[in-house]
Amino acid sequence: MGRKLIKYPIYSITLVLFLIFIILPVLNSIRIAVLDSHFFENINDIGSDIEFLLLKSSFLSAMVAIISTFFGIVLGFLIYKTSVTYRKYFKIILLIPLFISPYILAVAWKDIFLLFFDKIENTNSVLAIIFVHSTIYIPLSILIIGSALVNVSKHIEESALMITGLRKMFTGILLPLIKPAILSSLVLIFIFSISEFSVPAYFGVKVFTTEIFTQFSAFYNYNLAMLHSSLLIVVCVLFLVSERKYIADSPFLSVGTRGKTTKIYALGHYKNTGFSLLVSSTFIMIIFPFLMLIYQSFEKGTDSFVKAMELLVPTFGNSLFLALTGSVFTLIIGFVSAYFSIIYRKILLDNLLLFTFAIPSIIIGISLIKFYNTPYLNGIYSGFWIIIIGYVAKYGFIPAKLLENAIKQLPKSLNEVAIIQGIGFTKRIFFIIIPLILPSIFAAFIINFLFCLSDLGTTIMVYPPGTEIMPIKVFTIMANAPQSLTDSMVLIVFIFTMLIISLLFFIFKKIFTSYNVNY
Amino acid sequence: MSIIKLENISYSYSEENVLEELSLDIKKNKTTYLLGDSGSGKTTILRLIAGLEIPNGGKIFIDDKVVSDDNSIIVPPEKRKTGYIFQDLALWPHFTVFKNISFGLENRKKPDIKKTVFDMLDFFGIRNFAKKFPHQLSGGQQQMVAIARALVLEPEILLMDEPLANLDTKTKTKILHYLTLLKNKYNLTIVYVTHDYKEAIKNADDIALLVNGKIQKENFSTKMIVPD
Repeated sequence: MGRKLIKYPIYSITLVLFLIFIILPVLNSIRIAVLDSHFFENINDIGSDIEFLLLKSSFLSAMVAIISTFFGIVLGFLIYKTSVTYRKYFKIILLIPLFISPYILAVAWKDIFLLFFDKIENTNSVLAIIFVHSTIYIPLSILIIGSALVNVSKHIEESALMITGLRKMFTGILLPLIKPAILSSLVLIFIFSISEFSVPAYFGVKVFTTEIFTQFSAFYNYNLAMLHSSLLIVVCVLFLVSERKYIADSPFLSVGTRGKTTKIYALGHYKNTGFSLLVSSTFIMIIFPFLMLIYQSFEKGTDSFVKAMELLVPTFGNSLFLALTGSVFTLIIGFVSAYFSIIYRKILLDNLLLFTFAIPSIIIGISLIKFYNTPYLNGIYSGFWIIIIGYVAKYGFIPAKLLENAIKQLPKSLNEVAIIQGIGFTKRIFFIIIPLILPSIFAAFIINFLFCLSDLGTTIMVYPPGTEIMPIKVFTIMANAPQSLTDSMVLIVFIFTMLIISLLFFIFKKIFTSYNVNY
Repeated sequence: MSIIKLENISYSYSEENVLEELSLDIKKNKTTYLLGDSGSGKTTILRLIAGLEIPNGGKIFIDDKVVSDDNSIIVPPEKRKTGYIFQDLALWPHFTVFKNISFGLENRKKPDIKKTVFDMLDFFGIRNFAKKFPHQLSGGQQQMVAIARALVLEPEILLMDEPLANLDTKTKTKILHYLTLLKNKYNLTIVYVTHDYKEAIKNADDIALLVNGKIQKENFSTKMIVPD
């Protein structure tokens, strides 16, 4: 063990830091919950109510996963595999809901539903949550399915088309080939959906995560909250582990220069249908909620909007700083994990990132509070570091996975020839590997930046006084604020996020349009 | 006189035996062809000699010094004085031709890098391509850059993994001619992997025929007639 640690110092240091700062707090929480003197009482308390809530959450998330994946396949095929008009733009536009906080869409859609119904009853609210969550997670499915579709060699499709029709090729060849991606989409969306609590909370629907939040925040029953959390951890980890076991090495998310030889289908008579479907999706997922927020914000003048600006402007700097720092740290840990798991087959860190990714944000938040709220660790607890640690725990897996796939696509020989030439480890990393996967690194950075910027689940649990960020400000105020103020605040966050996305996209295009690495 | 000696080498991958108790002597300053069908273990032998793979059993000697032992690398790849030409050439796509060749030299802090690189480019007649990127070159030019990159570090052994497989006959002949010149100039030992019997018979000093991870024939006559 000692020899191995010396052999891979960067990996070992990262692993040890991750174990100390993130895994230890999570395990500590479980330990406290189990060793609690009321443990058996708490176990007995897990009665039919809790079981019902877990079932309800599971059903809700399963529905979201199925609906999102179905539309992910349809829209992913249209965008990535057909010559539908403006497909390049749809590829970007339809990703937007993934990067804005779920509560933004919840607010907008609740306004829209209230236009049609006087009151949203509980049953309808569940349907509303399924709808809103689906509009949020369809983009994730499009991304996963699209990445898989472009990686299918066009020769495979063409040889099938020589002997059968398009429909049979699609169902008999293409769909089975992207089965791992479909499964990944289902599992990941299930986990995202079951962990998300701001949408159910806003619609006033009691689900498992809102129950945990209530136990912790309202009743201060930490141990019961942790016990409930453990159930959720088990469900999520089981799903993710079985998904991993099934898909083995199949890439589930890639951003890179591959896929240039993918086959593109002309839609012919169905060109307008395809285009209409994409336009309708854009309207439903983005434009309609956006217009509704504008309408509600300015219906009674500009006062609410001005007030919302006053409240939110001071949070912009903090939000950007935390998202930037968070995404840099997640990127570093993601790269270390990806590099060592692909090149040296060191998969422990990768598995730990998967484990913390599967844990709902709210539970990570509770664990961090419990661990760091001591006199010795108060420096972390009362500063912004606790938020960064939360981001790394929750989102470290995403760049790790993206960069794993990018490194996997590099021919092994590019690294090996450098080894034979005596080029040292650091130089190989900075002069060979990083430049070759730079677009993927930048894409991973952007994605994580946006996830950190819109994070609510972890931050709401751990944010120290004075560290005000946009989602927290909106979420804490909207419980008691007039609807127009809530809408205005949400609209501002929406516009702010859109501006950031546009800026990052512009920078990405500017840098990488001529970045042509052919290997 | 042997420069490379493989002694009872075993190597398995995913529980499948690729090489079993294989022994082989490769003579100094000779061109030895490793000949065999796909999956016979030719590339694995090259990678074991280079130190990119660790044998499960047996010993590998270079210049009478043990470089790999049972499950361990004793001399790391960069210190084995070998150059490796990969099948895909492995030219770094984000570096120019000049940078591809000079990168290893910079690392070894060699004096007068510029002159060394241009001398090598001149030898191959590709000085004009110094500022080009690999994807801007033809297949033959890329081969020459890959060979130049390996030789500029003055290796004693050049390991070549079917690098000419995708070239037309004319270019292949030209590059093989360069290789003969370079071999004599630098006193090189070349270990060349191929499945092309005719090429091996024509260019080899020695041939080792591999079948299913075992040497079937070693140093057999290069005058042997090979059926089409």
